[in-house]
Amino acid sequence: MINSSIWILWTVAVMVITLSIRNPFYLILVIVGLFYLGHRLARQKNISAWVLSNSRFILTMILLSTLINGLFAHVGSSVLFTLPKGWPLIGGNITTESLVYGAINGLMIGALYLLFNIINLALNIKQITRLIPRAFQPIAMVVTIALTFFPSIQQRTQEIKEAQMIRGNQMKKVADWLPILIPLLVSSLENAILLAESMTARGFHKQANLKAPLALVSLILAAFAVFSGWILQVYRYPRPIYITLFLLGSGLTVLTLFTIGKRSKITRYHQESWRLLDLLMGFLITFFLVSFAYLALTDRLLSLNFSPYPRLTLPRIQTLGIIFSLITLLPSIISNHD
Amino acid sequence: MITKKIFSLLFDFFVFSLGLMSLLAPFILPQARSLNQQTATFPIMISLILGLCLLIMIFEAQYSLLDSKMIAFLAVLIAINAGLRFLENAIPGPGGFSPIFILIILTGYFFGSRIGFLMGTMTLLVSGLITGGIGPWLPGQMITAGWVGQSAALLTVFVTKLGWKGKPIEVGLLAAFGALWGLLYGVIMNLWFWPFLGAGVGQTFTQTVSATENLQRYAAYYLATSLVWDISRSIGNVLIITIMAKPILKIFQRFKLRFSFENQGVTAL
Repeated sequence: MINSSIWILWTVAVMVITLSIRNPFYLILVIVGLFYLGHRLARQKNISAWVLSNSRFILTMILLSTLINGLFAHVGSSVLFTLPKGWPLIGGNITTESLVYGAINGLMIGALYLLFNIINLALNIKQITRLIPRAFQPIAMVVTIALTFFPSIQQRTQEIKEAQMIRGNQMKKVADWLPILIPLLVSSLENAILLAESMTARGFHKQANLKAPLALVSLILAAFAVFSGWILQVYRYPRPIYITLFLLGSGLTVLTLFTIGKRSKITRYHQESWRLLDLLMGFLITFFLVSFAYLALTDRLLSLNFSPYPRLTLPRIQTLGIIFSLITLLPSIISNHD
Repeated sequence: MITKKIFSLLFDFFVFSLGLMSLLAPFILPQARSLNQQTATFPIMISLILGLCLLIMIFEAQYSLLDSKMIAFLAVLIAINAGLRFLENAIPGPGGFSPIFILIILTGYFFGSRIGFLMGTMTLLVSGLITGGIGPWLPGQMITAGWVGQSAALLTVFVTKLGWKGKPIEVGLLAAFGALWGLLYGVIMNLWFWPFLGAGVGQTFTQTVSATENLQRYAAYYLATSLVWDISRSIGNVLIITIMAKPILKIFQRFKLRFSFENQGVTAL
């Protein structure tokens, strides 16, 4: 078990690296690493056929992406065959290059999909709920209550459904669900009133004063900074400008949420513990990420970029690139010692 | 009071346009389609910006509304809605049909735009948590569902102005609204995913290609992949709203009265 903050850090690192890669060889390495990790996690949780079902999805994704790009993009020099020019949108040359480009896109989507699939495996609901920032305490409360109520609501649905079926409800039309939904709503909302009353009785009527127009303004400014940074990046403004804007936006958001969060005085139970191994892992991932950013920004990892256009060539491979693609395996080192 | 209203309207508009602009970016930013741009980072950046918009909206909504009554009320409604999402296959309906929209629309319609927004976003968040569906697609889904609930409040204005409350046309209007959103939801979610698959398509776009041509391509992609699903979702929404809207609104009416207990001498912590 790794601390959930470390998992998030790892996710960010893998995402940054995956998104900077266009080299199919590295992408395949990333995917293989994720498959290995996911397989281990799924085995721990006794989920069968994890690899199989996910590889099916990823292969479909790659196929789809290859087909779509191949049909719509008519660039590239190795022409396989030509569709009549008169056909709208898809008419034109079908080239190897555009098929390869589509496949690379598919690989990237697949890697991202796997990454988030693994995060959902690795963290349980409680851990994810806990990641909601303290400034959003009322929302965290809503989510927690909803999650707590969920099983009992499912059970109640089942009971009402059975009662209705005994009375001869066939459950064939949408209208047959009305006598289930209405009692469900009424009885659950009755529960909600009880809950609200008992919350109020325990002095939980109004949350800590979160009214903060200034915080709102600074959040808006932060969002605007990130947005304009992105636009400038798309329009290829000099790198320092948009990176400053990104940093400004994210810094402002974190700072605002932190200061607002400090105001809500709440108790947290079952804090996650930090072990030495977690700290070590956090340090290692940060080191990887920083050195990756440094190397990529100073153009020392040129093999990350690869474009099949205008003529397909073999991608270049660097040892450093291979090392960075293997960052996906980091969490599996730690669980070896569990 | 009026300045506050104007401020809140401006605020909504700003956040809405920021979100919409990021979603429409492939159309309005011709540079984004240029040759070496890493188009696959596009959806992730869009998700990030949508996530920031969500933060702002939720932050604003939570402090203006939520006390223990509203927290309990919303939480239970969300749990029901997340449960309904599981019944998707059990409830007989056309494929692609999802029963979650009715409660979102009715909540927005009855309790106002902020609560509607929270209802939409939180439903998607909670059911994402339960099904293990946390990922970059979540901010897009959340904000779109939030918009469903938020815009339902517009209907309230119409209905009260025209005096349609309680008449059959009220349900008709809601059903039409559900049909519209059944389609729009698909269109918006596709907008998010499109640059992923369409990334390579960018190669064929020279910067002189107009946004309309791009729109055409999107339309082709949309027709080919999702129109059938979206239409059946629309039909499902119409069906379920015409059948269930009235009784549910009645329940809301009753519980609104019951939830309005006041307590005195309470100060914020």
